[in-house]
Amino acid sequence: MVKGPIRVLMTKLAFDAHDRALRYVSAKLRDAGMEVIISRFHLVEEVVNTAIQEAVDVIGVSIYTGGQIVVAQDLMELLKARSATDIKVVFGGTIPTDDVQRLKDLGVHDVFPPGTPPEVFTASIERLVRGEVSV
Amino acid sequence: MEYGGGTVYDPKTVESVKREQPAWEAQAKKMLRSDEIPTRTTLSGLEVKPVYTPADVANIHFSEIGWPGGYPMARGLYPLGYLVTPWMNQQVMGYGLAEHSRAVFDRLVAEGMEGYFGHKVMNLVFDNPTKGGIDPDWPEAKGHVGVGGMNFSNLRDLEILTNGLDLATTNISMITGDTCLYALAAYVTAAEKQGFDRKVLRGNSMNWLLKNWHVDNMSFPAKNALYLTGELIEFASQHMPLWNTLNISGYLMREAGANAVQELAFCMAWGREVIRHCINERGLNVDDFAGRFGFQISAHMDLFEEVAKMRAWRIMWARMLKEEFGAKNWRTWQARFHVHTCGHALTAQQPLVNIVRATIQSLAAVLGGTQSLHTCGYDEALTIPTEESHRLTLRTQQVIMYETGVTNVVDPLGGSWYVESLTQQIIDEAQKIIDHIEEMGGYVAAIESGYLRRVVNEEAYKYHERIRRGERIVVGLNKFQIEETEQPKIFHFDPGVEQEAIRRIRQLKAERDNAAVEAALKRVREAAQARDGLMDSILEAVTVYATQGEVMNVLKGVFGWGWMP
Repeated sequence: MVKGPIRVLMTKLAFDAHDRALRYVSAKLRDAGMEVIISRFHLVEEVVNTAIQEAVDVIGVSIYTGGQIVVAQDLMELLKARSATDIKVVFGGTIPTDDVQRLKDLGVHDVFPPGTPPEVFTASIERLVRGEVSV
Repeated sequence: MEYGGGTVYDPKTVESVKREQPAWEAQAKKMLRSDEIPTRTTLSGLEVKPVYTPADVANIHFSEIGWPGGYPMARGLYPLGYLVTPWMNQQVMGYGLAEHSRAVFDRLVAEGMEGYFGHKVMNLVFDNPTKGGIDPDWPEAKGHVGVGGMNFSNLRDLEILTNGLDLATTNISMITGDTCLYALAAYVTAAEKQGFDRKVLRGNSMNWLLKNWHVDNMSFPAKNALYLTGELIEFASQHMPLWNTLNISGYLMREAGANAVQELAFCMAWGREVIRHCINERGLNVDDFAGRFGFQISAHMDLFEEVAKMRAWRIMWARMLKEEFGAKNWRTWQARFHVHTCGHALTAQQPLVNIVRATIQSLAAVLGGTQSLHTCGYDEALTIPTEESHRLTLRTQQVIMYETGVTNVVDPLGGSWYVESLTQQIIDEAQKIIDHIEEMGGYVAAIESGYLRRVVNEEAYKYHERIRRGERIVVGLNKFQIEETEQPKIFHFDPGVEQEAIRRIRQLKAERDNAAVEAALKRVREAAQARDGLMDSILEAVTVYATQGEVMNVLKGVFGWGWMP
């Protein structure tokens, strides 16, 4: 059980353009009392390193121009290799519908399509980390 | 040609309108059973009245509106508008390898995609690794090669893309990121190898190195980005008279969160900075280069605001070029723009509704007098468009062009009390922002200080909060939702593309003269360090098949590379 504020690493591929959603989602998670770190990455190793160094509870990957499957495969594998599977992983963005299940099959904990209301992704992260939604 | 003329209404008319206004107000209040007449705001937050009359345009002189094709260009760039030159159907295309993108181009041409004077139009987007100066065989590229754009790593790709095309009648826009100098060099070289002189080439370099603050991509630091922007402009203005050298992208600002007024103001400030650089640092004459600048702007959902913005755009640009920079050629005064319908207005929910949105946005662009138009596909909130959805966007434009009659009259909304008044309101508001940026030291300074990014982020936050609170209704998203069962067909990428791109670049490196490549890259470095002859050195590097990643690495080393504030 995580005590104190939930810590989230919000991240996005370095050359994936348009970070509007990343910033809005980060702002809403902060509004909900979470601590948010924003990073960008070229290689998935960078995400895992930052997540471990910063002791985050959740990694949120924002996707605009695709590549979600490859990123998820590498990310989930690397978390396992580094014994960091307690970190929950969520994806959001312009992700085709049939990729949502593929991501979940890879072990991604939740996927948020465009237009997901802040209440929904915030509650999901709370549930993933605390096992319940705090009121 | 300039025109004279007094105010658009004689004072007597205006006076009688003002006399009648209280009676209308009384009637409205009676119907409302309230003493307060409600007012609303445009999507950008400009307050608008419930009704407009001649009194609202009483101070506007006809010379401030003028005739189509005449200063200050409010009503369009040409005397007869779409009657003579319909807008170009300029659909963004490009994915996979060069041959895949060429096949899409051939299909769109066969289906009637047409530019001016029957020319072919290729509005080609590159994939993210290409835009960031990364070759397909580098680890960062994994999973992204040919996704969302064509992969392009060297001259061979453009040779395949353009093989057998009449490049004198093909208008190519290359949607590059920071690789625009290399991409132009490769296009020129590919064309010359096929026998076309660089002088006859038509098209567009985005050259939008100063855009990265609003899309949040890594980039050259703003000052050096300005230098590189100028390098392309100087080269093309001397050797490629038909080439459009700069695309000032308001669209991307808008996608980042800017409102319509900010979009306009920031683009004017950006253009001003580049013009000053070209005149002051490079000694160019404004009439020799600024006429080849263009804009890519957004059409969001507020139809009249978008139309007014586009009219304001032409006025402000024309005034700046003529009055501030002393441009004498009327073509230099022309703000030529391409409209891209607003991507973030689309919803993943009930995606077919996006067809309606994109149609209205396209209509706004046409009523605003755009030179070319990209209409978003209904499935673009989910992925890149399928062939069917891509075709539908072209058909949307064709219905507007051929069936609705909106092309029969130039500037059909000109003279509308509301549109003229809103045009003026937008000019006034944008001018305040432009003056503020000027006080900060100009556009580069406004990037460096983080000002632009901050205000745009704030605007984006406000926009989404209004949707979240239900103050702004988005059909299917926060109101009129349904249980969705059917999903649109999704475009599927060929996973073999990446392997093939890697195979090709490895083959290239085995076959080319690597000593010549090393020597050419050394010359690029020296030219970049000396700030002298950079474009020529890149042309040399392209010719010996140095890859874009190799050349970009040299430029990143010399000019710096990182995140803009």
